Amino acid sequence: MIAALPPVVRQNGSPRAVAPLVPMGANAGAPNNIEQQYAITKESLEWLVKISSAGKIIPLNHEYVAKI
Amino acid sequence: MSLTVVKGLQSEIFVPITPDPVWTPVTKELKDMKVALATAAGVHMKTDARFNLAGDFSFRAIPGDAPVSDMMVSHGGYDNGDVNKDINCMFPIDRLRELAAEGFIKEVAPVHFGFMGGGGNQDKFMNETGPEIARQLKEEGVDAVLLTAG
Repeated sequence: MIAALPPVVRQNGSPRAVAPLVPMGANAGAPNNIEQQYAITKESLEWLVKISSAGKIIPLNHEYVAKI
Repeated sequence: MSLTVVKGLQSEIFVPITPDPVWTPVTKELKDMKVALATAAGVHMKTDARFNLAGDFSFRAIPGDAPVSDMMVSHGGYDNGDVNKDINCMFPIDRLRELAAEGFIKEVAPVHFGFMGGGGNQDKFMNETGPEIARQLKEEGVDAVLLTAG
């Protein structure tokens, strides 16, 4: 699970989650930022294998601050 | 000021109970996995019926080879601005295709799923929608599912 809102994901009992620093609606990275989306997708899959017990939420070091 | 203790006091605010996580062990390496996407972001094909923005527990299948230009979002619970510019924000199917082309994963699943989170009938989601999506993914031999939600 790629989460923009980790507390919500935790409350829903997600077994494996990652949390990049992104707003809700751009969980996999900023629009048209292929490099960032690629990194978030790839690292999420890597954590899918690496997370060893249920309930872990791993912060990802990728940030997108949306201009609203 | 003394404290007053009232037995059996209940909150008027609905407090969801955190369900136990479903833990499925990983048995393959990523390079041997068929990977699917599932998103609560309301992604679907343009030819599909839109979700009911007031609450909708139905889901839409998205073919693995569909171009993102044939997809759209209908979801009333978050700012659609970014995902309308680039659906990969919530449904990184093009990135998944790149990872498959490089051999990082074995292949992109032939089918992916979109539904509309953030409301709707939770019992239906838990007991019908979720299990049916899981059943179809298993039927396609999918090894792992990457979700976006919350």
